[in-house]
Amino acid sequence: MQKESKAPLGADLVIPALALGFAIYFFFSTADLIWEAKANGVIIGTALVILIAFQVGRIALRVMKGEGDLGFAPLWQPREVVWKRVGLVVTTAAFIAAMPWLGLTLALWLGMLAQLWLIGVRRWKLLFWIPTVTAAAVYLLFIAVLDAGFPHGPIEMLLTR
Amino acid sequence: MTWQFLLDQFAAQFALWWVIWLGILLGIVVGILPGFSPQNTLIMLLPLTLAVPVEQALAFMIALYCANHLAGGVPAILMRIPGSGGAAATTLDGYPMARKGQAQQAIVLSFTASVFGGLITTLATIALLPWLSKLGLYLRSVEMVIIMLFGLTLIAVIAAKDTLKGLIAGFFGLLLGVVGTDHVYSEPRATMGFLELYDGVPLVPALIGLFAVSEALVMIEEKMIVEDDARERAMRASWADTVEGLVITAQKWWHIVWTAFVGLFIGIVPGAGASIAAFVAYQQSRMWSKTPELYGTGIPEGVIAPESANNGVTSGTLVPMMALGVPGGSTAAVMMIVLQYHGMVMGPRLFTTNPELAYGVFVSMAVAYIFMIFTILPLARYMARIVLIETTYLVPIIILVTAVAAFVERQYLFDMGLALIFGIIGYIAHKTNYHVTAMLIGIILGPLFEQYLVRALRLSEGNLMVLFSSPLANVLWGFLVLSLVLPLVRGRMRVNRS
Repeated sequence: MQKESKAPLGADLVIPALALGFAIYFFFSTADLIWEAKANGVIIGTALVILIAFQVGRIALRVMKGEGDLGFAPLWQPREVVWKRVGLVVTTAAFIAAMPWLGLTLALWLGMLAQLWLIGVRRWKLLFWIPTVTAAAVYLLFIAVLDAGFPHGPIEMLLTR
Repeated sequence: MTWQFLLDQFAAQFALWWVIWLGILLGIVVGILPGFSPQNTLIMLLPLTLAVPVEQALAFMIALYCANHLAGGVPAILMRIPGSGGAAATTLDGYPMARKGQAQQAIVLSFTASVFGGLITTLATIALLPWLSKLGLYLRSVEMVIIMLFGLTLIAVIAAKDTLKGLIAGFFGLLLGVVGTDHVYSEPRATMGFLELYDGVPLVPALIGLFAVSEALVMIEEKMIVEDDARERAMRASWADTVEGLVITAQKWWHIVWTAFVGLFIGIVPGAGASIAAFVAYQQSRMWSKTPELYGTGIPEGVIAPESANNGVTSGTLVPMMALGVPGGSTAAVMMIVLQYHGMVMGPRLFTTNPELAYGVFVSMAVAYIFMIFTILPLARYMARIVLIETTYLVPIIILVTAVAAFVERQYLFDMGLALIFGIIGYIAHKTNYHVTAMLIGIILGPLFEQYLVRALRLSEGNLMVLFSSPLANVLWGFLVLSLVLPLVRGRMRVNRS
């Protein structure tokens, strides 16, 4: 007999959990403030907590009825792109962290090269030209034309010398 | 003001065609990039606008401002990445149209609704300027509280499929909107010790994270943005699709007109902006529609309403600046600085002392819109091709370039990190059907709603009845109740009939 698949309802609790955590933090961090300063947040936060309670109750009922389980499958499906997705987040964080040292242009070039390779581009011409054209366009618009205050690195220093 | 005077003004503005084109081109580029607001660009270009004659500076600034509002809808339609807060509502129907292989029609609709919406309201402003300038005086914090409620009810509309999830997302956004110092005592609230959050959750990183980064993380699951069964249609796109977009525009002309006026009236109120106008127009459009259930599935009205309204705002924002000397928004404030530097004094006397400038601003806007339609409409066919580029190449560009754009407004690396965090939240929300637009509405409108409500309550010493204290407020309450009840009644009648 084929096993009946249950809805993975645990994933539906992640956003409520984040919201609840933030609401609790809001209540504690504003406890000492004057009522007018926190009134809006307290009213919204209380409504949010009530809504979350309803959602938790709804999910608990469905789990008890056997319609679902507390799985998180929707968050990492399809399986084959999970590591690509994680890699994109990690390389973006690395790009942000490296920008003060490498400067916008070089950090962007390296970040883009890493992300393209990570999600499956293997043709070396594309791996070279997409980051180069993007980094050059970003440099021209944000640094050369608009002087938007990005961190300068070796490439910016070389070009402004 | 005579016809001859107006014709002379139009002739003078047409003579500045090259300045207007420069403004339009730059406005389109920065409008497409999330994070680049027109006021940022104008501040960066202050050395230029202060150095050239005032007529040229004005024509350039106005063209850039209007083009920026227009272009924000392009990435919203093609990649579900609004170029600005004013284009966030465009994603609701624009992106589904692109996924169905109708990207070109959606872009044409966005352009024509923007241009004609902007043009109609600009011409109306020229004709009615003395009266419109007084309207701003009647719309006070009490009336603004109700106008904000019009926008906030969109959360409930979005939540229609799963009310509880929609409301949780909306209230989570509203709570995030409370972060930062309060409006009376400047007490920091829930800033987690970050000085960067004292001004509240910055809109641009939230927008980029919730829409661009999260969408890119989902996008890698598919080969292209366009759905598999619609790919054939998207590949066969031709000039006929542009014509089809124009025909739809002509059929929906009344929709463009009334939603543009929603934008104009909201724009006149100092502090209100394109995002509020777009959300309110979308909500109203859906509420009064005979087929509200089709909104969100990719229908032309869902693109027309927000785009027409957010361009209707452009002329409205300048009304209080010209007539009262009060800038209607941050872009208007930058323009005012430039005009004052050139010796122009804003306010009621401007219309008698310098009518060429007072009316010239709006004539310049009308001319910019006329130029814009000829400049940008032919590009729709080529822009629509983006949905056919493989996501393997698009995803890194979207994530990293929008992360760069998150930095631009306030120049904090913190904002780039915040965009990434919002991206992860947005991804989880996408995957579990908590609507990110509901969250964004909360983040955008929450602080404004609080600001106007606190101001109204302070003025009335805490008496809630102040919200029902003016005839205009009561009329707006009536409209709000009507727009909420009417669709329910019509829905019930339809069920009974069937």
